Amino acid sequence: MSKSEYFPEKVYVEKRSFDFPLTKRILKNIGQIPVEVINDPRELLENIKTSRDVIGEGKKYLLVTCQRGEFVKPCPCTPRYIGCNYFIINLDLNCPLDCTYCILQYYLTNPLITVHVNLEDLWRQLDVFLYSKRHRILRIGTGELGDSLALDHITENSISLISYFREKKDVIFELKTKTVNIKNILKMEPAQNIVIAWSLNSSRIAQEEEKGAPSVAERIDAARKVSDRGFLVGFHFDPIIRHSYWEEGYGEVIKRLLETIDPSRIAWMSLGSFRFPPLLKAVIEERYPKTKIIYDEFIKGKDGKLRYFKPLRLELYRKIISFIRNWGGEKIPLYFCMESEDIWAKTIGWVPRGKDNLEAYLSSPLGQSKI
Amino acid sequence: MKKKNLSLEEIFLEDERFRISYYFSLEKLILSLKRVGLLSRPLVAFRDKHFILVSGWKRVLACLQLPLYPLPVFVIEEDDELKTFLIAFYENLATREFSLLEKAEILSRLKKFGEDEKKIVRHYMPLINIPPTLSHFESFLAFSKFESEVKKIIHEKNMPFSSAKLLAEFTPQERRLLLPLLLPSGQNKMKEILEDLKEISKKDDIPAGKILSSREIMEIMTFERLSSLQKADKIRLLLKRKRFPTLSSWKESFDSLLKKINLPKNIIVKPSPFFEEENFSVNFSFGDKKEFKTNLLKLQELATKEEFSRIFKFRHCRNDIKSHNFGKNPELKDIG
Repeated sequence: MSKSEYFPEKVYVEKRSFDFPLTKRILKNIGQIPVEVINDPRELLENIKTSRDVIGEGKKYLLVTCQRGEFVKPCPCTPRYIGCNYFIINLDLNCPLDCTYCILQYYLTNPLITVHVNLEDLWRQLDVFLYSKRHRILRIGTGELGDSLALDHITENSISLISYFREKKDVIFELKTKTVNIKNILKMEPAQNIVIAWSLNSSRIAQEEEKGAPSVAERIDAARKVSDRGFLVGFHFDPIIRHSYWEEGYGEVIKRLLETIDPSRIAWMSLGSFRFPPLLKAVIEERYPKTKIIYDEFIKGKDGKLRYFKPLRLELYRKIISFIRNWGGEKIPLYFCMESEDIWAKTIGWVPRGKDNLEAYLSSPLGQSKI
Repeated sequence: MKKKNLSLEEIFLEDERFRISYYFSLEKLILSLKRVGLLSRPLVAFRDKHFILVSGWKRVLACLQLPLYPLPVFVIEEDDELKTFLIAFYENLATREFSLLEKAEILSRLKKFGEDEKKIVRHYMPLINIPPTLSHFESFLAFSKFESEVKKIIHEKNMPFSSAKLLAEFTPQERRLLLPLLLPSGQNKMKEILEDLKEISKKDDIPAGKILSSREIMEIMTFERLSSLQKADKIRLLLKRKRFPTLSSWKESFDSLLKKINLPKNIIVKPSPFFEEENFSVNFSFGDKKEFKTNLLKLQELATKEEFSRIFKFRHCRNDIKSHNFGKNPELKDIG
């Protein structure tokens, strides 16, 4: 797989999805790649499931299908830790990148890179959903069950999504990526409520554990271009992973980031230390026998997930927050993904009074004239 | 299939090509044979001028012990090894559950006799309650290649798949070193030993064999006054400390603080699991009002003690409790 643009080995189009405009666009954008129209993907899935590496095998194929259920869902978050009231749009499922720690390896039963093409249903569902939430500011994004931009050269969904959301003034829409697939974004007029966000990590973790993803320097450079174009940008240090010289590793990235991007153009940064359901561990061991990231001091948290022993998490967060605050990012809104109240209190210095309070804090792009 | 009566000498038992069961007790079967005789005929096939046993090892070995002869058998008139094996497989499938090791032998025989791998995974594995994945197939093939003393422990301990899978990650020499630790341990402790050893080895890049032959482990193993269970337990705890150095040092500090406070035996103070939450719990038992009041007084007295307030440092994650850093665990210096 090219580091910049993913193309599948073959595209399977479900017969009932063939006539959608997005299907036509995909078939135009994939060029000479073989295409097969199928009635039912189940047999294909059965075949893939007997492969040595089911998840890796699934990444070779693109399935074009329709979303039969709801596109919009609340971000599942995790019980007994503070959530951030985020909503997700499940437009693409799965990701061509191959990060060691990826939760999708455990979470999704369908290993194929899957694109839902019934966008008309999406707009209809979104209209209803946004109307039902019209009295509040809403944060919503697509990067939960797939990378928001990894397939954008094939689907061009960023154009449709930004065009839809730019008119929705009480909604902050976020595209979250590890790629540098920003060609379509740069063609778009920026809007105050659109945030293009990157997942960042130390260069060593990016190099060793984020197979297929561009380097951290390339990601920051892409963020600079998008920021220069006039969009707000966001950054997610998630998962933060302990490794030798992690302080230096994360320090370098944060330094480079804050030297490259004007901090006033950063809508938010989130932090989340590596955590995973116990069953993901076996998948990681199987697929990445050389990785060491799962052999640190993990304990079973209040939600049943494995997470670093609390003093280790605190050490990570305190250091990383001090880097951000001391190197020019003192005003950037920071939040945790799935952390407990006392971690908030001991590191960021305040605890959100419920989800709404956190939502208001993170909605600052709408309140401040940053454009 | 043809019915035939054979003398026991006519069956060449050294040929185990179709055998899938090794560890069983014959006691009850012998009793049954004595009372009602052999009701179900073993299956044999004719190969290289001999009759060889295809199915019914337990029955035939019990008959040998009695001895019971002549032996009524069915002769399978089939030259193809796979087809012959499948007759035995389906005969057994209908009548009993297979053990972990029997499943391993079945899959290894199917492969050996030329069955298509995809068919083994998709067709046969679900029949014997194994998830149809190539990874499970490979694990079971690895189990079939275990040394016989390891197989014996798996059988005796009724070891689950997850522990056998861990065992498969060690070399035959490492497995041999592990046997004295596994033999006296129950299933959970066995799994803990295997998991922690594997993970220390991976994390610190030290072969498991080197860890098991380290001075501190050898000292425990050769300490004569300890029983084999005590040795296994000590080593299990040692491995736990190496695997979770920061958490272990927190637990040890907490326990040593409690010792200093000198709590009455019936009052138990505990942190939240893994110190994840900010609170502690106090537990005491009482039989009557007087006892209840005495406990409350003791707790009140405790609250005034300077030492007691030190337990709150475990709440604040103070920096004076240092976390262990990356790189080789200092405790492993002598073997690293």
